[in-house]
Amino acid sequence: MSVGLDKLRHIVVLMMENRSFDHMLGSLPGIGGMDDAGAFSNPDTTGAMANPQSLAAFQGQLQPDPDHHFPAVDLQIFGGNTAPGRVANMQGFMKSYYNQQQNVAHSREILYYFKQSDLPVLTTLATEFAVFNRWFASIPGPTICNRAFAHYGTSFGRVDMNLLYINEPFKSIYDRLVGAPPHTSKLYYYDTASSTMEITNLLQHQPEVFGTFDQFLSDCEHGTLPDYSFVEPNYSDHDTDTGEEVANDQHPDHNVRAGELFIASVYNAIKGNAALWANTALLIVYDEHGGIFDHVAPPACVPDQFTATANDTGTGQPFAFDRLGVRVPAILVSPWIPKGTIVSRVFDHASIPATVTKFFLGDYSPRSPRETSADVFIEPQGPAVDPARNLLSLDAMRTDCPDFE
Amino acid sequence: MVVIRVPKVPDDAYNPDRPVSGLLKMQIEHMHEAEKRLPTRYRSEIYPNAIKTEGEAAEYIRMVTEGIHEAHADAAARRAKPAKKRKVGIEIAAVADERAERQIRSKAKKRKSGKKN
Repeated sequence: MSVGLDKLRHIVVLMMENRSFDHMLGSLPGIGGMDDAGAFSNPDTTGAMANPQSLAAFQGQLQPDPDHHFPAVDLQIFGGNTAPGRVANMQGFMKSYYNQQQNVAHSREILYYFKQSDLPVLTTLATEFAVFNRWFASIPGPTICNRAFAHYGTSFGRVDMNLLYINEPFKSIYDRLVGAPPHTSKLYYYDTASSTMEITNLLQHQPEVFGTFDQFLSDCEHGTLPDYSFVEPNYSDHDTDTGEEVANDQHPDHNVRAGELFIASVYNAIKGNAALWANTALLIVYDEHGGIFDHVAPPACVPDQFTATANDTGTGQPFAFDRLGVRVPAILVSPWIPKGTIVSRVFDHASIPATVTKFFLGDYSPRSPRETSADVFIEPQGPAVDPARNLLSLDAMRTDCPDFE
Repeated sequence: MVVIRVPKVPDDAYNPDRPVSGLLKMQIEHMHEAEKRLPTRYRSEIYPNAIKTEGEAAEYIRMVTEGIHEAHADAAARRAKPAKKRKVGIEIAAVADERAERQIRSKAKKRKSGKKN
């Protein structure tokens, strides 16, 4: 029996916006990032090759917002090859960004990544706890359908940003938990002016499962967090009664440093309550790559039971949800995780409901084929825990975890 | 224990006049779909197609989100209100009275018709 798993009572997921693994964490040595950035390159539209460089800026660089709809991501992953039997080569990022502004020099900026010192919060958490270097977006496409995988384990056949209608019988992870008392679950959006990206289903029909970030902070302080919490960042710059709120979702072209502060505030809120810190695991993950370069080709995966039509994908080809999206940053935080843990198993956002369901509810059906085949990042409780897969493996809780101020 | 200092966000990062991104546009569309289902008194009276900036988007999203919460809260309050007690005895008496009246009227009609016949 693992002490860390035995004590675990809460799982918190913070999902940020639109940054690739190499872009945010590629500077860290030895984790499958940009150790040898010179070995990676992309052709521009003149045929000249360019290499990734650690020149990413916090704001003002990725304008316009890099295209990350299905056809653009297809180009980024396959470099423009549409032939049968094509192989993913990650060679189309500059071509894709060039399409938006017809500026070759500007298209090179899609390869830029941050220095480790630029992102003290994210890179510290990645080196102090467990970093996943093969966590991929669930779909090679945009936000809404990818976030759906985190909530439902499927996007119900969608590969776009359109309204998502739930096709029974796959229930949201929130439904599953609140439908099994005494289990509890909450989706915390930043404030009502930022609200949630999970509108059409949950907010309309079950507003009671939502809270604000202020409530999250209060629940952390008072030890009243639910079993499972999903935290959304602030999606817009807006005024409130108490002052100006800067978007902290890190979606281009929002300031990346604001996101760093937000991640730190979530971490600090959990760590600030000693009892909560001991029995909580925090996953920080990005919904998709936002059109920004990553060098690892997404692998094939178990098909979902849905198929997006050629018309839906916009590529002229249908999509059976049998390939993952581009690699994104993902970090698991807990004082029971050994410092410097690197996890190289394949995960995607369907791993979130898969993990939460298995940990809190055990066997549960029905779930989508993608979710039932997804790996879990926290092992289910019980005597048969595989030590090789258990990330919360320490016998004693760490006392050397960092603080942010 | 290591203490990591997190750099502050520069003041010029804040720009509520920034044009809405594709993500916010989609969020507005989804909000509008949700708003259409709200009773009119909970709606925003903002024309979503005219929203151009993040600040405007945030105001619309706030109003619809609050409207959804208020509509559900009001419905829950109505649900929680104790149902009015039915005055069963009086109603039975009333029905009995009506029945008796009908019988009297019917007998009277018969009597009248008997006279005619």
